[in-house]
Parts: sequence; C-alpha cells; structure tokens
Amino acid sequence: MALTEDDVRGIADYARIALEGEELAEMTSYLNDAVAMLEPVLAYNLPDVEPTFHPIGDLSNVMRADAIEPVRDLARDAALGNAGSAREEYFRVPSILGGE
Amino acid sequence: MARNIDALTAAQVSAAVAAGELSAVEVARAALAAIEAREPQVQAFLQVTPELALEAAERVDAARAAGEKLGPLAGVPVAVKDNMNLIGTRTTCASRMLENYESPYTATCVQRLLDAGCVPVGKANMDEFAFGSSTDSSAFHPTNNPWDLERVPGGSSGGSAAAVAAGMAPIALGSDTGGSIRQPAALCGVVGMKPTYGAVSRYGVVAFGSSLDQVGPFGRTVEDVALAMDALVAGGRDLYDSTAQDVAPSFAEALRAAEAGLDGKRIGLVPAFMEAEGLTGEVKQGVLAAARALEDAGAELVEVDLPHVDAAIAAYYVIGPSEAFSNLARFDGIRYGYQEPGCASLAEQSARSRAHGFGAEAKRRQMLGAYLLSSGVYDTYYYAAQKARTLITADYTAAFSQVDAILMPATPHAAFRHGEISDPTQMYLSDMYTISLNIAGNGGISVPVGLGAGTGMPMAAQLVTPAFADERLITFGAVIERALAGDGGSVLGVAPAFAGKGGELA
Repeated sequence: MALTEDDVRGIADYARIALEGEELAEMTSYLNDAVAMLEPVLAYNLPDVEPTFHPIGDLSNVMRADAIEPVRDLARDAALGNAGSAREEYFRVPSILGGE
Repeated sequence: MARNIDALTAAQVSAAVAAGELSAVEVARAALAAIEAREPQVQAFLQVTPELALEAAERVDAARAAGEKLGPLAGVPVAVKDNMNLIGTRTTCASRMLENYESPYTATCVQRLLDAGCVPVGKANMDEFAFGSSTDSSAFHPTNNPWDLERVPGGSSGGSAAAVAAGMAPIALGSDTGGSIRQPAALCGVVGMKPTYGAVSRYGVVAFGSSLDQVGPFGRTVEDVALAMDALVAGGRDLYDSTAQDVAPSFAEALRAAEAGLDGKRIGLVPAFMEAEGLTGEVKQGVLAAARALEDAGAELVEVDLPHVDAAIAAYYVIGPSEAFSNLARFDGIRYGYQEPGCASLAEQSARSRAHGFGAEAKRRQMLGAYLLSSGVYDTYYYAAQKARTLITADYTAAFSQVDAILMPATPHAAFRHGEISDPTQMYLSDMYTISLNIAGNGGISVPVGLGAGTGMPMAAQLVTPAFADERLITFGAVIERALAGDGGSVLGVAPAFAGKGGELA
C-alpha cells in the first residue's frame, strides 16, 4: 500500500526532520519508489534462515577495563566548543516540555 | 630536468626522504603547489592544510636530522576524507550540519598514518555523510573527475580518489559502506581497497552504517596501497573500536608474493555478473584483460555462482538507511552541528536544525530508515534483509571453498556526467558490484585496467577475497598491475591534463 503525505508527515515527526510543502510531496514520491525497490528482499523472509545482524558473527559485549582514560577524556572546552549554544559549563537547550 | 611530485609513488617519496635525497618539507611544498595549481579545476578538497602539512614535514626532517628511525611513509603527502577527525581541521562530512565542526580529537586511522610519517595536505570532498556515488551531494561543491572534468569522480570518497588521480597526493584515505572506496577508485583510474570489516579501526570516523562501514586507502599503485594498509594495521587492535580485530601487517610481503606467479591459484568468475544488464562492453573487456593477466601468471579461471547476490542491493537499502537513521539521530543541534535559532521547544529545535542542516539525500536516507524501523514495518523488511545477508555470506563461503579470489567488475560503467543520473533510486544501482561485500563483510580491491574503448575513461576490475585474507588482494592486484603497466609503474598514472602541472621538486 502506497505511503500518503500524511504517513510521511508522521515519519518526519518521528525522525525529527521538519518537512513542509513541496519537500513533503517529493519525499512521499521518493519513499514510495525506494520501498518498491526493496520489494525483492521480502522473498528472503524465510522461516528456516537465521538473520545475520553483524559481519563478525560472534562479536558481543566487548568490554574494556573500568578505568579512567585521560587520553580519551575530552577537555570541557573541547566538548562545549562545538555546541550551538552553551553557558558556563553547560550545553544550553530550549524548554524540553514546551511552553514558558 | 626537475622532477614533479606527481611522478613519485608513496614508496619512492619515503625512500627518497629516508635516504636524504629529498626533505619532507620540500615534498610537502611541492604537493601544496600541485594542489594550488590543480585544485581550481578538480575541487577535490574541502580544506587544504598547509600549516599541518609543513609542521608534520618539519617533524620528519627533524627526526631524520636527529638520526631517529623514520616511519615507513615518512614525508608522504596524504589526503583524508572529511568524515575523519583530525585535530586542527574541521570535519564537515560535506554537510551544512557540520560546517563549523572542529575535530576534537584525531581518528585512529589518521593517527596511524601520521605515526608512519605521513604529511596531511587536506580534507577531501565526499557525498554528504557518505550518502552517494558521485560526490555531487556534497553541500559545498561537486568534485570533477580529473580524466574528464564534465564527469563525476564517483563517490562517496570522490575527493580522495580525485586527489590521487590528479597527482595532488600519492595516497588518500576513504571509507566504504557500499562501494565508496572501490567505485570512485574505478572511475578515477586509481587503486582503492576496502579491507575486511573490522580490519581497520573506525574510531573517529563519522558513522554511517555501523555493520557496513570500513576504512581503506587509495593509491596510484598496488604497492602504495599495501604500504598504507601496513601502516593502518601495524598498531594492532584498536581498543577504541570494539569491532576492530588484530590484523598482521603483511601487505608489503604479499606484494612480493606476486613475483612468484600464481601457479596453483584459482580465480573465480561469476557468469551472471559478466552478462548482467547494464554492464557496458568496455568495462567487460577490461575485466577480461585482468582475467587474462591472472591466467598468464599461472592461475586457473573457474566459474563460480553467487545465487543470492541479486538480493544485495535491496538488502543494503534496508540495512544501510536503518543504521544511518540510528547513527544520525545524534545530530540533534545540541552538542554539535547546526542549531536553528529562536525555537520554543527542544523538539522544534531538533526538527528544524535537522531540516536545515541536512541536505536532500541525507534526509531521504534517514526518512527511509525511520520508516523501515517503524513498528509493523520492521519485522517485514529488516529481518528479511538480515536473512538475505546470511544467504549472501554463505554464497561467498561456498565460492571460496573452490577459489582463492573472485574477479568481477567494480562498476557497471565508466564515470557518468554530472547530473546524468538524477533519480536517486537509479543512482543506487551503480553500487551493484560493490555492495554485497559490505553486507558479507569481506574485502575487495579496485585495480585500474586501462582506458575504455568507448568513453576513453578509466576502467577497473575488482578482486574479492575471503574475510581476513586481504593480503591476497594485494598479491593478485599486483599481478594484474604488472601485466598491464609494466614493472613498478601504475596502470594509468596521473590524469594527463594534470600531470606535471605545478608541484615541481627543486
């Protein structure tokens, strides 16, 4: 079933990418083309085949020692230096819940 | 007559610097002069770094003067893809989102080349966040193919490939998620290698598809790629990348193995690939020339089948966008990246920062990933793609029980013109020969085989080997190169329009 502009508006909201007007229409057309291109993969939803999520199959929970690594610690100035908005030693954000 | 920096391979530069025939500073100045003369037409770089280059070169010269042992790539200029952090540079991923992002640390792959004595000359252009096959989706400017400026260099590591092809650096680093090293290498006539997933650390490389991404080198010769690979793995397993594995630095040694010939080796050809719709005659002829070179060296050619590989593109465009959506969720406009001013809530700030920071293809891939991972859709597509991955990997395992390597095209056609492929889903098909390796994880190398009879553009063949048998790529690649280029030389060299332009050594 083809995706509608309303569906795509919902995906954009979930993906936190504000799309409006023509961009929404173009994205709807693209997503329908792209999903059609993915159709061949559906034939592989086979009950007797296990999925492979990662090329190194037996890799899981690689741990390092629970120790401070000064080399890897970003200096506070470096960490804050790329932020769009910072105050003193904090990242600054607008209201999380909205409103005043 | 004065020599030009572009006439030297990385191996020759490091040997000359080690012998005191050239100083690293002299080499760096020549490389920067070559960039100054050639860059206006090629536009391979997003940032040229003369200060970093000269500082690194001075360190090499000081080490030599002090009698210290030099690294294996001492004084060799390198271009670094702009998704790799390097202190003293911006890392923009060719995106407005990261236009002003200053690298807070240096990626392991870059650091290892610096430790080997490399001199960083600049950050190379790319498709935005590595989403593309043309470098046209860079938010800043396209890169032109040095063999024909009307054509694309391929992508996403198009700047890295073009810099090497135009003789602005003998080696470059790229990353390959679906073919992003091998395809631009093929289109620009240089050697490009994607090692096995996990062979090279990705720490400090901006993530696209975490189960697919791999870092690798470009060079004009197989030898230079081998030297770069040795430098990339020589430090052992990188503890900062949990997927990184221990790989022996045996690539230069593998190069010497080529001299012994290929008696007893078996090379696979996939009939379905050689007869595929969309494969041009000139590319096919190039691959067959590579096959003859391997046969002449004593290898036996064998037909092999990869029955499930048809599913690779569809599986990739499920897995890749899903992982990209997950990885790029970090660009929320708070800690780094573009931040939209004047928003009343955090949600609005994130949505508007992402809408204005990301370009069209970056939004498309994330929207596709968001859809594919949404409730109800996830089970249908994501699991099917990961099951296809199981079958594709099993195909390769079965094929490698019969052969030592598989030979195939790297791309279906020569470099296309800017804007020639405007439909994004059509663009995705240019990865048809490279993508299955990222899904299965094993390594591949693109080796130039000459110029096409139709287009006059570079043609390439791709070699594919089992996981963690990447040294074979060097051995077999060197055999093809020697047959088609003569001893020690590169098959195509620097693109003729740029060879010798600026960059003279005193």
